[in-house]
Amino acid sequence: MATLTLTHITKRFGRDVVAVKDFSLEVPDREFLVLLGPSGCGKTTTLRMIAGLEEATEGTIEIDGVDVTDLPPRKRDVSMVFQNYAVWPHMTVYDNIAYALKLKRMDKQTISTMVKEAATLTKIDQLLDRFPAQLSGGQQQRVAVARAIAVRPKLFLMDEPLSNLDAKLRAATRTELKAIHAKTEATSVFVTHDQAEAMSLADRIVIMKDGGIIQIGSPDDVYHRSANLFVADFIGTPPTNFMNVELEVENGQCQLAGPHFTCVLSAENAAKIEDHDQRQLVLGVRPESILIVSEDDAVLSAECLVSEPQGSHQIVAIELGDKIVKIIAPAHPVIAPGETVHLTFDQEALAFFDKETGLRI
Amino acid sequence: MTRRKPVNLAKAARTTTFYILVVGVAAAMLLPVYFIVSLSFLSVREAYSYPLPLVPALETHFKLTPGKRGYLVSVYDRIEGAYESVLDTKELQKMSEYMRYQLATPVTIEDLEQQVARLETEDEVYFTRRRNLLANYQTFFGVAGYNAVPALIRSLQICALTIVISLSIGGMAGYAFARYVFKGKDLLKFSVLFVRMYPGVAIALPMIKILANMNFYDRPIGLSLVYSIGNIALTVWITASIFMGIPESLEEAAQVFGASKARAFLRITLPLALPGLAAAAMYAFLGAWNETVAAIILTTFNPTFSVVVFQTVLGSVGQVNLAAAGGMAMALPAVIFTFFIRRYIHQMWGGVTV
Repeated sequence: MATLTLTHITKRFGRDVVAVKDFSLEVPDREFLVLLGPSGCGKTTTLRMIAGLEEATEGTIEIDGVDVTDLPPRKRDVSMVFQNYAVWPHMTVYDNIAYALKLKRMDKQTISTMVKEAATLTKIDQLLDRFPAQLSGGQQQRVAVARAIAVRPKLFLMDEPLSNLDAKLRAATRTELKAIHAKTEATSVFVTHDQAEAMSLADRIVIMKDGGIIQIGSPDDVYHRSANLFVADFIGTPPTNFMNVELEVENGQCQLAGPHFTCVLSAENAAKIEDHDQRQLVLGVRPESILIVSEDDAVLSAECLVSEPQGSHQIVAIELGDKIVKIIAPAHPVIAPGETVHLTFDQEALAFFDKETGLRI
Repeated sequence: MTRRKPVNLAKAARTTTFYILVVGVAAAMLLPVYFIVSLSFLSVREAYSYPLPLVPALETHFKLTPGKRGYLVSVYDRIEGAYESVLDTKELQKMSEYMRYQLATPVTIEDLEQQVARLETEDEVYFTRRRNLLANYQTFFGVAGYNAVPALIRSLQICALTIVISLSIGGMAGYAFARYVFKGKDLLKFSVLFVRMYPGVAIALPMIKILANMNFYDRPIGLSLVYSIGNIALTVWITASIFMGIPESLEEAAQVFGASKARAFLRITLPLALPGLAAAAMYAFLGAWNETVAAIILTTFNPTFSVVVFQTVLGSVGQVNLAAAGGMAMALPAVIFTFFIRRYIHQMWGGVTV
């Protein structure tokens, strides 16, 4: 159990490539933190620097207040689950889990107890005599997790551990990982590019891009209060719909005017953006915040391009100019392509972004 | 009643042809080996008889009769099916030597005296003595001046040194080529093969000069250095591809879980690279063991085993059976080593190769 503090971490490869720049973060005890971002954003490099597998060019890393920046991995008291599992093929499952404990010179009895405990927690206690090559991908992944939790580390690091599993197994393992974290309460840092995985696992999500932090917040924060256009676009499937609009003030009433619609704003929304100096804005609307209503209440009407039934709901796509806008609608009534739908916005869920900077207003 | 399946003639013909071919190829490979093995056990008389016996006789049947000069010795010929006279002498010493060296059948002089004594009462004396099957090998290793045994030990020393030198240097270079990115990597990797392009004879003189300056001429260490040059190149290529196949994350995982960099290499990467290292070791061994040209040039008083075999083949004109024994003695260590190392090349973890 530990806290992790990263202060102004920068990582440069060679002279020109900056993988991580000025990264500062505090992870409190027992937190499950997820580093989320597109590939090449520096999230794995950050994790590897925490593990000690990569040297930080600048900045300091502290675990429990102790500066570990220059310590080799083995002295940091962390454990890690690798993307390709990295279970040692020439050792049995038991030896894989026990290796770290043996290096700590624990006695055989204690090792045996701890290995069995970790194996039971990850449900591989029947496989202890097998070699990794005799296991399926999912089982190997469990061995990697068991190996990591057996050492009872201060910090539990995971580098996209679920990305090599098939979709169904990934969802199931995700749930189990969360349950294991609830039991072990180890401070965890989890790297992924899958926003759904991040949302379901994280206490807090750190969204990274080009080596820097874009937003830190709870899953709820990053979804409903995205810091900028990038986050709003990255989080959620289907992603947020963006529309260019102009703010008009007529007779003390605020309204948004786009090329395809005009929408009168609620008092709260109006108060939010009235003072902004720009009149050109980007409106962000989540697919579930566009509502299908009767013709009289509609802000805009459009023809349905396609609809994708999802069982519990359907995703309706409409075309506004050259943009496709996606709407999450109830499963019934089924909307057929070509059918005209009448739409309005859920005023409480509208987000406004500056057109120049992309920042949320 | 069950009906018998009709025979598919075309398929039967194909299968038959296939197996005839297989047997033919196998015979073409095994027959020369068989002949050299069998030849190495034959006596001189057998080795030069025509047709050549397929297997060595286990015992020799003698017939003694009174001869013109003393006693006429006849030997039973398995192929002719009759006794053939081979020697007519009065001296039992000469008779015993002839039996030992030409017929590979040790018969003592006391034994011969007894047999000769029987001639006083009988017209013909028959007796049978056991062949010494290893006679050729004993002669080969015992021939004065050749010192086959010291040469064998020297050759083994050279092989061991070559393996150690080329595996340590080549293995480390292979690891570097597999794991690190540096300027001129590809060019360097190709250039290690350049040394193999020079025929040894072409650069013999400078080699002698350099080794003599180093005081390594005519010594195992000198030859093993020469052999290592070519083997390092091979080892680099073999081990680099093996190390590339071992994910770096296996080593990193060991480091995270408490191992130092060196321990992670020794405990994780090295065991996994064992098949490749074993293959490289085999190449180094066979290369050093079989090499003769450089060994002839670079040794004078301390020849290697291959040089001794070479000299036997050249020197013992009219002794093909000795040459065969030398060839067998040369081949056997290589075969044993290859079978021993094969285990590691086929190293498996949990029934599946890595």
